[in-house]
Amino acid sequence: MSRKLVIDPVTRIEGHGKVTVILDDDNRVMDAKLHVVEFRGFEKFIQGHPYWEAPMLMQRICGICFVSHHLCGAKALDDIVGVGHASGMRILPAAEKIRRLGHYGQQLQSHTTAYFYLIVPEMLFGMDAPPEQRNVLGLVEANPGLVKRVVALRKWGQEVIKTVFGKRMHGISSVPGGVNKHLSIEERDRLLKGGDDLLSVDQVIEYALEGLELFYDFHEKHRKEVDSFAEVPALNLSLVDEEGNVDYYHGKMRIVDKNKSVIAEFDYHDYLEHFAEATEEWSYMKFPYLKALGREAGSVRVGPLGRVNVTRSYGENTPLAKAALERFHDYTDGKANDMTLHTNWARAIEILHSAELIKELLNDPALQEESLTLTPPESAWTGEGIGVVEAPRGTLLHHYRANREGNVTFANLVVATTQNNTVMNRTVRSVADKYLDGKAEITEGMMNAIEVGIRAYDPCLSCATHAMGQMPLVISVYDTDGRLIDERGR
Amino acid sequence: MSVAAERFPLSRCAIDLRDYDAPDCLIYGIGNVGRQDDGLGWAFIDWLENNHLCTRGERLRHYQLHLEDADLIHRKRRVLFVDATKAADVPDFQLEEVHPRMDFSFTSHAISVPAILATARQCFGQAPTTHLLTIRGYAWALQLGLTPGAKRNLEAATAYLASLSFQNHSSGVRSR
Repeated sequence: MSRKLVIDPVTRIEGHGKVTVILDDDNRVMDAKLHVVEFRGFEKFIQGHPYWEAPMLMQRICGICFVSHHLCGAKALDDIVGVGHASGMRILPAAEKIRRLGHYGQQLQSHTTAYFYLIVPEMLFGMDAPPEQRNVLGLVEANPGLVKRVVALRKWGQEVIKTVFGKRMHGISSVPGGVNKHLSIEERDRLLKGGDDLLSVDQVIEYALEGLELFYDFHEKHRKEVDSFAEVPALNLSLVDEEGNVDYYHGKMRIVDKNKSVIAEFDYHDYLEHFAEATEEWSYMKFPYLKALGREAGSVRVGPLGRVNVTRSYGENTPLAKAALERFHDYTDGKANDMTLHTNWARAIEILHSAELIKELLNDPALQEESLTLTPPESAWTGEGIGVVEAPRGTLLHHYRANREGNVTFANLVVATTQNNTVMNRTVRSVADKYLDGKAEITEGMMNAIEVGIRAYDPCLSCATHAMGQMPLVISVYDTDGRLIDERGR
Repeated sequence: MSVAAERFPLSRCAIDLRDYDAPDCLIYGIGNVGRQDDGLGWAFIDWLENNHLCTRGERLRHYQLHLEDADLIHRKRRVLFVDATKAADVPDFQLEEVHPRMDFSFTSHAISVPAILATARQCFGQAPTTHLLTIRGYAWALQLGLTPGAKRNLEAATAYLASLSFQNHSSGVRSR
């Protein structure tokens, strides 16, 4: 007889998804899938709009990683107007630094949201804790001092975004060929030195370190549980600079295997030569893979764990993050790390890395330069552009074409969550095998374990399908006759 | 009891907008003008600004509440949140005083006003006197502009507040 399990509150991800787990007569897991059931829209309705609107409109896909979409679109427009790849040019250094500042600010803010608001409560209270406790409001009651510092940290990240883009959400700064605004001395000093209602950048770094310590403490107490939770294989993808170190804004695409051997490395404009996308009838989200290796062996992991697996080091300009990264690399003896919950370790490192990168930029006088935009001649127009950045959740690609009238005729987005589709499904299967397999009764804690696995990727299912609308996640367990055994959702 | 209060259901709070005309007061419109009636919160702020009301108070338009709004509001003495609602039992609008309460409503996309207040009190030591004006909306598609029904409800809400606040000057206050 089927029964329905209702839990409130439920999961904390961005998007409308569904997990199904199929059990046989002995309650053994036969299959487990993450379905994404939102409908794509943005790639279509941007068509016919003036090309320069694309970075403004596309960022409205998401209320979380809008800066990434804005910058990715801006980089594609640089190509289109002839200040990019085809012309062998790059925007002015000062403009690029201002874009990077906003980019790092968003990474700090987004990772802080995911890590402290969505993940830390589970670390502190446990996966089996009552749902009303294992969220940030439970954290408010248990440790208000920590939440106060986290609120201040996220607020500072938002202030960086607001300073660069003019608004705390969906602001506009990047234009084809550069940016439209520099940072004044007052704006710079407010971020550097803080004020009555704002942290200083040094306090931000201190709080970021505290966040990392939270993971160390949690890991120390729950090492076996954390390390054995959904250890799933995948290649790792990130943008890198000439030294093979992660570059969140620009670089070559590098893919490494378990031994950190470089499987492929290429200019991101050649992405489609290297990647294909598989589809399944049970999900709107595609499954990208390296053509040369095929779907099973060629699927990649992106985002914090993918990046720290790919990067050889961080620069000397970010010493605290560099040391934290070395500790991370040492833990797996220099091999790539496939432990899903270590994504949260990587995310905490990247909060610190972002803070140190921002501090370095704020001390760069280039941010106060007046000349910020290149205006190429009309003859430089290419009509096609590709932009790639490392968004908080991983590698993000925007590809546009525009006609001679300047209207968009084509748009394609490959977002981080899509890149992670296969590895997320492997994670769901791994967790189902470990926590549900052979169990006569499905408890709330077991079901939550699946969400914990998904949440480690901080997936944005609305970005992945470019959807519009509200976004629940439902987990359903069926028997082999297709009868519903358990279900939870919001 | 004022004349205005007699004309409206007793379940609605009575506030005076003149009490919000100070720097330590905040009127916070929640919503998205790109989603039809979800723009009601911002439209209320438009109405204030078009009529030069509460000019010394802080006025904000945001898509959604964030946890860091707890930091913002703990610095205020008085806050009015204005939001659209789908609730069918709200015929046109509702005005209520809100008290701190952990209702565990948090997601990365949404958090309730009572939870924000509880966070302000718990983490920052104080929460302001807070009211919530919810105005009934009917359509939420990706489109600019309020529906006629939502416009009527906004006018009802602004007329109510104007009558409470400016009984002797209501002819000078326009609804949009």
